[in-house]
Amino acid sequence: VAVRVVEVGDGGLALCEDEDGRLEHVEVTLVEPVAPGDALLAHAGVALTRLEEGAA
Amino acid sequence: MKFVDEFRDAELGRVLAGEILGAVEPGRHYKVMEVCGGHTHSIYKYGIDDLLPANVELVHGPGCPVCVIPMGRVDDGMAIARHEGVIFTCFGDMLRVPGSHGTLLDAKAQGADVRMVYSPLDALRIARENPDRDVVFFAIGFETTAPSTALTLKRAKADGVSNFWCMCSHVTIVPPLRALLESPDLRLDGFIGPGHVSTVVGARPFQFIPADYGKPVVISGFEPLDILQSIRMILRQLAEGRCEVENQYTRVVPYEGNLRALQVMAEVFELRPHFEWRGLGFISQSALKLTPAYADLDAELRYDVPGVRVADPKACQCGEVLKGVIKPWECKVFGTACTPEHAIGTCMVSPEGACAAYYNYGRFAREREVV
Repeated sequence: VAVRVVEVGDGGLALCEDEDGRLEHVEVTLVEPVAPGDALLAHAGVALTRLEEGAA
Repeated sequence: MKFVDEFRDAELGRVLAGEILGAVEPGRHYKVMEVCGGHTHSIYKYGIDDLLPANVELVHGPGCPVCVIPMGRVDDGMAIARHEGVIFTCFGDMLRVPGSHGTLLDAKAQGADVRMVYSPLDALRIARENPDRDVVFFAIGFETTAPSTALTLKRAKADGVSNFWCMCSHVTIVPPLRALLESPDLRLDGFIGPGHVSTVVGARPFQFIPADYGKPVVISGFEPLDILQSIRMILRQLAEGRCEVENQYTRVVPYEGNLRALQVMAEVFELRPHFEWRGLGFISQSALKLTPAYADLDAELRYDVPGVRVADPKACQCGEVLKGVIKPWECKVFGTACTPEHAIGTCMVSPEGACAAYYNYGRFAREREVV
């Protein structure tokens, strides 16, 4: 699921928004550091990689 | 935020289809396996196969995590779920996979506390909220999902959560691909490589396919244009006599994968000597178990599980479907006794399963129409 970081929290978690506007906490340990606005690919609650916006 | 619209452009799709038509050699039959169930789903959802020339055949591979779990493993999960005081958690798809005596959903209906979760972190939250209960997470999936389980177990250990266990059934993608390539049943010309597994493992683990077997691999995204472009890249390699691993999904997949995820997995998991795959049988070093450092979180060490091999129902041909030997509609029970509502086999249970993809998108035709 593609998500965008809304707010970076404590302990490797970040509040993220998915394409449908749903907010959820995502574990971002594997892609840190992240900042609000970053686009990530999350799977089973964990961000696995950053998304390069606009890249084909 | 959208990462999809530009990859669903119908006009570009027609251009790619034309280029694919131009890349095929008349009279030659091409068999291309899409490894991942997510690709199978997209191919039938968007009718990609209808855009291909008649001599380009897509063969569906073993990359559907739920589909490859054998019946005996479901029985093991149900045995744990029926223990007094246990909250048994798993992904939604697993609830409906039949074991030899029903499904986890049946166990729930009979009184077991079985709960669906979206991630292992949800299961850990349930454990924190229920300190007087044993909470077990049934971990399935390829390298895409394994990092999530590994991080969850690290958190549980670091935070001293003492009522959380994992029944680890994670599998790895390379051994079944090697098994398929060694199989005399199937002669493939190339692979559409698994996009999301590759975000974790990178492109390097697939190098053995061109190096040892002389077949091209193109790691692919999941949108229609991604898949069409990947097919064109495979056909172009074949036309030019090249054979290598290419990455179509560069917007998501780094060549080296996610090194932190691989490191976390190495801390928490080790390879099982053998693991049974539905349809493929036992494959050496093809699945993960917890390392001795995490043995105190291993559900299979805490509970007695039957651990018995159970043969698939005779009517079910999921094994042949998973190996790409038959198409879903060639199974005797497809769409009759076996439907998504009342599935006999795993390939009909999971939305990523080839049978469910055919059924849900109306692919009952014995022969596809050719554009």
